Amino acid sequence: MKANYLLWILLTVFYAFVTGGYHLWYFLTYGRWEPIGTSALAMLTFMSAFLAFYLWKTHRTQGVVPEDRLDANIEDGESELGFFAPWSWWPLYLGIACSLVFASLAVGWWLTFFVVPLAIIGVVGYVFEHSRGQHAH
Amino acid sequence: MATLTETRPSSGASFPQKKKQTKGQILVDWLTTTDHKKIGYLYLMTSFAYFLIGGVMALVIRAQLAAPGLDIVQTKEQYNQLFTMHGTIMLLMFATPLFAGFANVLMPVQIGAPDVAFPRLNAIAYWFYFFGSFVAVSGFFTPQGAASFGWFAYAPLSNTTFSPGIGGDLWVFGLALGGFGTILGGVNFITTILTMRAPGMTMFRMPIFTWNTLVTSILVIMAFPPLAAALFALGADRRLDAHIFDPANGGAMLWQHLFWFFGHPEVYILALPFFGIVSEIFPVFSRKPIFGYKTLVYATIAIAALSMTVWAHHMYVTGSVLLPFFAFTTMLIAVPTGVKIFNWIGTMWRGSITFENPMLWSLGFLTTFIFGGLTGVILASPALDYHLSDSYFVVAHFHYVVFGTVVFAMFAGFFFWWPKMTGKMLNERLGYIQFWLTFFGFHITFLIQHWLGVIGMPRRYATYLPEDGFTWMNMVSSLGSILLALSIIPFLWNVYITYRSAPKVTLDDPWGYGRSLEWATATPFPRHNFTSIPRIRSESPAFDLHHPDYAAPEAKAAAKK
Repeated sequence: MKANYLLWILLTVFYAFVTGGYHLWYFLTYGRWEPIGTSALAMLTFMSAFLAFYLWKTHRTQGVVPEDRLDANIEDGESELGFFAPWSWWPLYLGIACSLVFASLAVGWWLTFFVVPLAIIGVVGYVFEHSRGQHAH
Repeated sequence: MATLTETRPSSGASFPQKKKQTKGQILVDWLTTTDHKKIGYLYLMTSFAYFLIGGVMALVIRAQLAAPGLDIVQTKEQYNQLFTMHGTIMLLMFATPLFAGFANVLMPVQIGAPDVAFPRLNAIAYWFYFFGSFVAVSGFFTPQGAASFGWFAYAPLSNTTFSPGIGGDLWVFGLALGGFGTILGGVNFITTILTMRAPGMTMFRMPIFTWNTLVTSILVIMAFPPLAAALFALGADRRLDAHIFDPANGGAMLWQHLFWFFGHPEVYILALPFFGIVSEIFPVFSRKPIFGYKTLVYATIAIAALSMTVWAHHMYVTGSVLLPFFAFTTMLIAVPTGVKIFNWIGTMWRGSITFENPMLWSLGFLTTFIFGGLTGVILASPALDYHLSDSYFVVAHFHYVVFGTVVFAMFAGFFFWWPKMTGKMLNERLGYIQFWLTFFGFHITFLIQHWLGVIGMPRRYATYLPEDGFTWMNMVSSLGSILLALSIIPFLWNVYITYRSAPKVTLDDPWGYGRSLEWATATPFPRHNFTSIPRIRSESPAFDLHHPDYAAPEAKAAAKK
């Protein structure tokens, strides 16, 4: 995981430098600050730092994993990787429901009123799909 | 690693026959699938359909411009809708999901994973893209027509005073939904690459395509949220009179900043995965490892990092951006891009090259893209950009960049991975015919547009006068576009006859020198990708497996033990 968090640290440092540089350069040229670009770059810096911190933290707790060892063999990995849904109706349903919600914002509020409940049903169904029925955990 | 596959066919043998499915079962299977490869195929098919739709729009545009004073499209408003939707479709409904398609099919296999990290989220991302795109283009079915404010929807042109009609609203909210799909897809790819690599597949042993998928996905999560925010704000302006992009509040500049803060990285979201595709192809057909693997990775990261800092070079002519800063960062991008081109040429240098279709298309990409890159440096300098901005020079530039990368590399990828995806090789001869038609068609259409721009033809004008002197160049360009359109026919024919009568490929690696892990599994892929994974000791595990005498030193040492 070292390469992962180093990548984000690199991006954090780069964007911090660019944010400062851009702000200063603009300020020295025009005598005021440019709010849009500076804040967008500052948020990039924040996001990179956030992810760098998370990945660094994960690396600390997790230790060296087989996929980061140069000499690991395939059998060194966990034998069970996790649970993969074999199929699901909910993505299609959610896609239709959410597109109706988004289209309703353009078409008219009366439609929003009817389709938002459909989308809520979709979210609930999606979240709890594997808590009940055939594929319950 | 267990991939939960119960049957274990020996690799290379024909895949066990599944029970015959009824048509309804096949349909339900595709609609409810969470298999990353099937979702990838859905992405590829949908985006290719949009490529054809966008291409037809382009042909109508070229027909309208073939001679002065034509009225092929009945009103100028329709012309505006055509170029708006051509841009929108080609960027957001063809090229971006095409990246998601290739990444979905290949990336999990290349890292030795059985699926992506969140299979259902993956399916949601696809359906958001599918229905979101439909909402965005459905404006064509409304009385006032689709959005007509240009694909970058500058304020105040995009508000309800200047662009009334529901087509604009549908465009805004449809793209917002599609944008969410792209973000979810990007998150999924990043998680998969960070957490699901096979043991021994370190970050610096990943194939270049996987690296580029990772970097592109990082760009997606950096660039698409500002777009989603800007689109919702524009939607609020249009539907709730929110006055966020009201010019009186400086909204015109706010929109341009936000849009291009997304819009420029978007170009690299389109380009980087396709750089990845050709980086997979050059080594295979040069019989050499990729030249300068690490510099290629660092160049990709550098391009991506820099691309977030150059957005305002689209806004030079507003006169209120920091010109030297953006000119400097923009020209800086040419350096890592040059490094990449150097690496690709270095890979071919003294290699034993053969010109099968994937290689030919990759060379077509290289030639075309270099032209586009060079005009990009010209446009990066403000003194020149003031003259060329919004002229056909810009149109020619970005078509060279985007068509050069996306379309040429797309066909390279199709020819290269078709046997892996379908179990049949596309016809080489038809591929050559298609390549030369595309190559000449493209260059005849767009090379001349540079000079059209230089003598002053502005983009997005529905027609021009004979006295302008643009006539013969436009005629050449329109004739070229016909050739370009014809070039699709051999491809569709090729797909059809390959489906009908091409022999089944039974080898794991039909090209003979494949390097990354997808060439070490059966053709076509088994359900969870692998029945067994070879030991990974270098960035080309499949090559080490199939050519032990020429394997990487680490792989040889491990094999001796």
